[in-house]
Amino acid sequence: MSLDATIKIHVGEFDLDARIVATDGETVAVIGPNGAGKTTLLRALAGLVPIDEGRILVDDDVVDDPTAGTYVVPERRSVGVVFQNYLLFPHLTALENVAFGLRSRHVSRGDARRRAAEWLDRVGLGDRARAKPRELSGGQQQRVALARALVIEPRLLLLDEPLAALDIGTRTELRRDLRTHLSSFRGARVLITHELLDAVALADRLVVLENGKVAQVGPVAEVSARPRSRYVADLVGVNLLRGTAMGHTVNLPTGGTIVTADEVHGDVCVAIHPHSVSLHRAAPEGSPRNVWRGTINGTDLLGDRARIHVNGPVPLVAEVTVAAVAELGLRDGVEVWAAVKATDISIYPT
Amino acid sequence: MRKFLRRFAVLTVVGVLVAALAASTAVAEAPAAKKAPKLSGSITVSAAASLTEVFAKMGADFQKLNKGTTIAFNYAASSALATQIQGGAPADVFASADGANTQKVVASGQVTADPIDFTANKLTIVVKKGNPKSVKSLADLPKLGVVSLCAAAVPCGKYATQMLAQDGVTIPTDKITLGQDVKTTLTAVQSGDADAALVYATDAKAAGTTITEVKIPASLNVLAVYPIAPIASSQNAKLADAWIAYVISPAGQKTLAQFGFLPVPTT
Amino acid sequence: MPLIAVLLALVAVAFFVLPLIGLLQRAPWSDVWDDLSTPAARDAMKLSLVCSLWATGLSILFGVPLAYVLARAEFPGRSLVRALVVLPMVLPPVVGGVALLYAFSVNNGLVGGWLHDTFDIQLTFSTSGAVLAETFVAMPFLVITVEAGLRLMDRRYEDAAATLGANRWTVFRRVTLPLIGPSLFAGAALAWARALGEFGATLTFAGNIQGRTQTMPLAIYLLLESQQGTAIVLSLVLLAVSIIVLVALRDRWFGAVRES
Repeated sequence: MSLDATIKIHVGEFDLDARIVATDGETVAVIGPNGAGKTTLLRALAGLVPIDEGRILVDDDVVDDPTAGTYVVPERRSVGVVFQNYLLFPHLTALENVAFGLRSRHVSRGDARRRAAEWLDRVGLGDRARAKPRELSGGQQQRVALARALVIEPRLLLLDEPLAALDIGTRTELRRDLRTHLSSFRGARVLITHELLDAVALADRLVVLENGKVAQVGPVAEVSARPRSRYVADLVGVNLLRGTAMGHTVNLPTGGTIVTADEVHGDVCVAIHPHSVSLHRAAPEGSPRNVWRGTINGTDLLGDRARIHVNGPVPLVAEVTVAAVAELGLRDGVEVWAAVKATDISIYPT
Repeated sequence: MRKFLRRFAVLTVVGVLVAALAASTAVAEAPAAKKAPKLSGSITVSAAASLTEVFAKMGADFQKLNKGTTIAFNYAASSALATQIQGGAPADVFASADGANTQKVVASGQVTADPIDFTANKLTIVVKKGNPKSVKSLADLPKLGVVSLCAAAVPCGKYATQMLAQDGVTIPTDKITLGQDVKTTLTAVQSGDADAALVYATDAKAAGTTITEVKIPASLNVLAVYPIAPIASSQNAKLADAWIAYVISPAGQKTLAQFGFLPVPTT
Repeated sequence: MPLIAVLLALVAVAFFVLPLIGLLQRAPWSDVWDDLSTPAARDAMKLSLVCSLWATGLSILFGVPLAYVLARAEFPGRSLVRALVVLPMVLPPVVGGVALLYAFSVNNGLVGGWLHDTFDIQLTFSTSGAVLAETFVAMPFLVITVEAGLRLMDRRYEDAAATLGANRWTVFRRVTLPLIGPSLFAGAALAWARALGEFGATLTFAGNIQGRTQTMPLAIYLLLESQQGTAIVLSLVLLAVSIIVLVALRDRWFGAVRES
């Protein structure tokens, strides 16, 4: 294992209790809402804050173990960090920034500059070596920050929302570049993000952190397909309901019942994609076994689609065309019937 | 009609009252003019720093004798006082430690009366209590660590320079610390690290047992003569003159002698 | 803009400007060079320069670590320490001089006698004493300014440097110091200006010895009676220096006051 961390930290009113593992060459994305503890987690891995309980091992070396009294300071941990907002030293040039880590390790000036220049070339900024950070664009700064972290050949690479400060166009481009650079890095990588798209593009596994606790762990595809937390469900844009399954029916605490295609038992998550929900002004006939009454209490227009929030025994968000909204007169307070095919419903244990 | 009558009545009453008041004042003053003029009011006396203790006593005595008067004192180096007076400071009397400063304000017109020499003083050496460095005379001063002198522009500084020159004693400049008036000069020995100071004999006496005095023989010493004069622009010339009269009176001279001042030389 | 505010403001401006105009119009412009060339003036200027630079140097050497401790360390009594450091700024300088006297006087000072007997050091009436008095009043300016700079600085830069492998000293040298550079410069300039203008503490503690402790303010005070021309010219030199310092710092000083 390149990274094996069990982290328990108590900060004021907040408790972080998370386990995170990653192998060499693997990228783990930590995703979660603001205040979930992602930054604290990253700082603990970097050594900027000691853990209260648990143990952190990097390449089988204990870097933090409160019970054994071991705590390795950040400067000795060989953990590369790309910070949110990059934190490039404003008084140093791009080259000097990248060379900083090497110079701090007593690499000679000439050698450090040479290696730094090589890395700057690699990230496509060889000609901007003498520029100060304020003269660089957001995307360029990000690349310098990456080069700065990688030139020291760390054992573990941490990235804190590396693409957050960029506009959409730059983000897409840099996501591709980041993927290329990460793939050539041999150690483990932990990526903090709140963009599912980043996780999908860059990570192998996903750790969902909510309120200081790990809500879900697994391969990115699986977590997105079968979210077990409201946060991811919202990110993915899927309706997530929880209930108790008894054979072919699932009973929801809100009073509704869902008919399932497969036989399931126990506490389950029910995922229904909004575009699988059809809305009717009158009770529909036909094959759908899942038909529920409800009242509209919210409409969001997104281009030529609309998302309609329906309240009722089975609360759902339905995605319909704007034309349908007009045709059916779908407004707040209007009573509708929502229908979903049992085969469009994804059920899995919590 | 009623309004007019009322106003007329009020005016008449007021007029009568004013007339009565004026008459009574005139009547009251007449008998008073027959007795000796009574002193009243207050004056400010700008006096050389060396007069601090003696004038405080004399001021208290004067105010006891002339109840209802107030004498306020302003002590500083005579040179500073002269500058103040030239600048228009509201003083009523100027008592200086040397004639030069008094002449300055005569020349610039703030003093029109003739100044009167009212007392004299001589210089002395003041050392730390117990005389730890065994200073015996002026000749020992150049050997000390730091000597405190009055600044050159201040009368006691001028006298000291004069005396040291006439006695052939030279103290290296980097061993002299200068005070802006004689009291500060003395403090450098009293509470500071200066080894000796050249101040007036009266200051040494006033400092009492906190220091030790090493007297300078009369043959080597200088005599400081103090003139006093009223300021022309005084608002209370009567009181100013009365104060000066008190200072030169036998009672005043006795107090001065008690504090160690010398009588004015008659030659 | 209410008229009354403007009028009162004009009075305030006049209050500050009139004394300066008074000084300028009394200046003996034709004799400036002669007045500045007198031994007293030359000694005073040389002494002022030497002592103020030493005082600034000492303020930086001891003040920066103090500012660092105050800004970064949490310890009981921290606000008390900070109050003590600021004290010389609000204390009347002559009181500061008296206090220094009671600490370092050879004859009745707390440690002065011991210093004299053990190391043969006398601080009173010496140039070192003048430097000490100036440092006492000037260092608080540097400490306060640098502490504010350290607090305002984004500490995550230091985190970034640590993760890159820099030890605490390297972080301080290559990241912290450059980032607080402007504060340090402003603090040093203020300390230097304050040291240059110090009068009461120097006079009381180091005395008034030409060539040894008679800095420009002391010389001006003494010469006001006897050589007024020289006194005024020296005053103008100090005035010019003060204006230069203020102009050099205009954005920094007023900006720092605004921020803190």
